[in-house]
Amino acid sequence: MTLPAETERKLLERVTVLANDRVTEGVGLLVLESPRVARVVRPGQFVHLRISTGTDFVLRRPFSIHRVEEDRLHILYQVLGTGTRALAEKRRGEEMDLIGPLGHGWHIPDGVAHALLVAGGLGAAPMGMLAEELSAAGVAVTVAQGAPCADRLVGRGVFDATARRVETATDDGSEGQRGFVTALVESLLVSDRPDIVYVCGPEPMARIVTAQAAAASVPCQVSLERLMACGIGACLSCVVTTRDGQRRACVDGPVFDAESVVWDTSEIPPKH
Amino acid sequence: MDSSKGINVDMRVRIGALELRNPVMTASGTFASGKEYADFVDLSRLGAVVTKGVSMKPWAGNASPRIAETASGMLNSIGLQNPGVEAFCAKDLPWLATQDVPVIVNVSGHSLAEYVAVAERLDSESAVDALEVNISCPNVDEGGMAFGTDCTSAADVTRAVRAVTSKTLIVKLSPNVTDVTEIARAVEAEGADAVSLINTLLGMAIDTDTWKPKLARSVGGLSGPAIKPVAVRMVWQVASAVSIPVVGMGGIMNAEDAVEFMLAGATAVAVGTANFVDPGATMRVVDGLEQYCRLRGLDRVSAMTGAVSR
Ligand SMILES: Cc1cc2nc3c(=O)[nH]c(=O)nc-3n(C[C@H](O)[C@H](O)[C@H](O)COP(=O)(O)OP(=O)(O)OC[C@H]3O[C@@H](n4cnc5c(N)ncnc54)[C@H](O)[C@@H]3O)c2cc1C
Ligand SMILES: Cc1cc2nc3c(=O)[nH]c(=O)nc-3n(C[C@H](O)[C@H](O)[C@H](O)COP(=O)(O)O)c2cc1C
Ligand code: FES
Repeated sequence: MTLPAETERKLLERVTVLANDRVTEGVGLLVLESPRVARVVRPGQFVHLRISTGTDFVLRRPFSIHRVEEDRLHILYQVLGTGTRALAEKRRGEEMDLIGPLGHGWHIPDGVAHALLVAGGLGAAPMGMLAEELSAAGVAVTVAQGAPCADRLVGRGVFDATARRVETATDDGSEGQRGFVTALVESLLVSDRPDIVYVCGPEPMARIVTAQAAAASVPCQVSLERLMACGIGACLSCVVTTRDGQRRACVDGPVFDAESVVWDTSEIPPKH
Repeated sequence: MDSSKGINVDMRVRIGALELRNPVMTASGTFASGKEYADFVDLSRLGAVVTKGVSMKPWAGNASPRIAETASGMLNSIGLQNPGVEAFCAKDLPWLATQDVPVIVNVSGHSLAEYVAVAERLDSESAVDALEVNISCPNVDEGGMAFGTDCTSAADVTRAVRAVTSKTLIVKLSPNVTDVTEIARAVEAEGADAVSLINTLLGMAIDTDTWKPKLARSVGGLSGPAIKPVAVRMVWQVASAVSIPVVGMGGIMNAEDAVEFMLAGATAVAVGTANFVDPGATMRVVDGLEQYCRLRGLDRVSAMTGAVSR
């Protein structure tokens, strides 16, 4: 795995909200005019968004880039707490600033012909750009997507446009197979014979998928979330334990080679 | 200096043997060794870089989650994760040496012997301009804050480190004490060239969904705007109790906050949590301080130190 060049420039960009619409209950799609970051961002990277300029809450919030359309960044976000509630209130024309592009995104190894993308819930967020890039490179894409119910299957537009096959699983059976996405992965690993697996979602689910890929001897990359303060590698709040020691999710990740991750059950992942 | 901009402000301040081009430093642990901020900060325009805490042996730090946001601030329990002084000297220091900025290394230890060993090791490094001895970290079980909450052990650490270093020695004080001036006097008496304060305030936050503490370590250090009034009060108390310079910090987000600390008695200031919010925060504080002085007709920034009226 190639680590990010420390010299890659991080930008502080003043951006304008072009649209901020509800996608489904508790999920929004934010479109930002951000020409400098849009030009250089890679699939799986994120931006650190300053939602508040007051002192009620002060830290930035990290969000993956779902897609890029010319000068525009698309961010799919789930409304969870103070910050994302304030984000949902942003209206067209409002300005914010962000730092980006940050982190080490998805890596597409040479010779990949068939990729399996596994997304759980908002795990679909960092996978839109990946699906587009893979399909543009002639890689066959299969998507396995899971969510609590049908309208939580977010990011469908880009997956339907790029993937050869999209399989879904919902907890309530309102769309696709009833149950967990991991059951789909089990059968797709056999039927589709992917030569790489990309996974993002709640940590327990991601962990199972990495084990399934390992058992099938398919290389796997996983995008991990950690609470982040600085987002640029300085504060050590976001560490992930790997075989090479502690790494920072904000610069060495958020995407890691699954086999390098040392899963630690004592680490409480952020609530989702 | 452009005369149309008004008077020329002398921004220099002195801490021990160290002359800083301006009073604005970085707060330890919030700026790593500076490289991470190079895209946002012109390091040569800082008064000094204060590095993350360095111990003798590598420390793994605490379990995650290590941070929790709270009203107007944050709790952290990083736990002084660092690769050890040798790795610091091999990797970070050579880069810092090429930057045109004074380097202050923050020294941590589990034991008195460890503080001494780190200080001794750094004393031979010409790229290190000063040491800031952290006797106030609330995030380690042994050492750390235990040394900074008791006059005798604070004095012991200061004396022992003073004996092995000729570099400017700053001792970083904990706010988690009944009377901070006692500790300040004790370290002054043992040869500290300056004191810096405040380190974080011990705090806690609980998740009302899970009924678990938000930090894996349960408790952590509170920083950010929420702690500023406490910090200003302590700087004011300490500045009137000792005659060595005071480096003030705790919730500085902008130049006006820095002015407040200087008026309370700080000779220099450090910017911490603000770096996470705005990676260029230090630059804005430097520019804002100079501008403030110009608007107030002050020809030197040090004129503000301790100038609060009674
Ligand atoms: C690299 C990365 C990419 C992300 N991409 C997306 C995305 O594309 N879409 C999306 O909806 N969410 C994403 N998240 C999670 C998102 O950052 C959090 O949901 C959000 O910060 C919650 O903020 P809040 O104020 O609403 O929640 P609160 O719980 O009030 O936040 C309090 C603090 O916790 C942090 N926090 C809370 N939950 C999380 C979490 N799950 N992960 C990280 N930090 C958290 C906040 O940043 C804040 O500092 C990403 C996280 C990371 C680390
Ligand atoms: C994430 C984090 C890590 C810190 N690490 C250290 C450290 O290693 N050594 C130290 O002396 N202080 C450390 N501190 C304390 C700061 O240097 C500073 O004293 C404190 O945060 C108050 O300033 P602020 O409100 O501007 O952040 C740390 C603070 C934070 C937020
Ligand atoms: S968020 Fe600060 S080091 Fe990763």
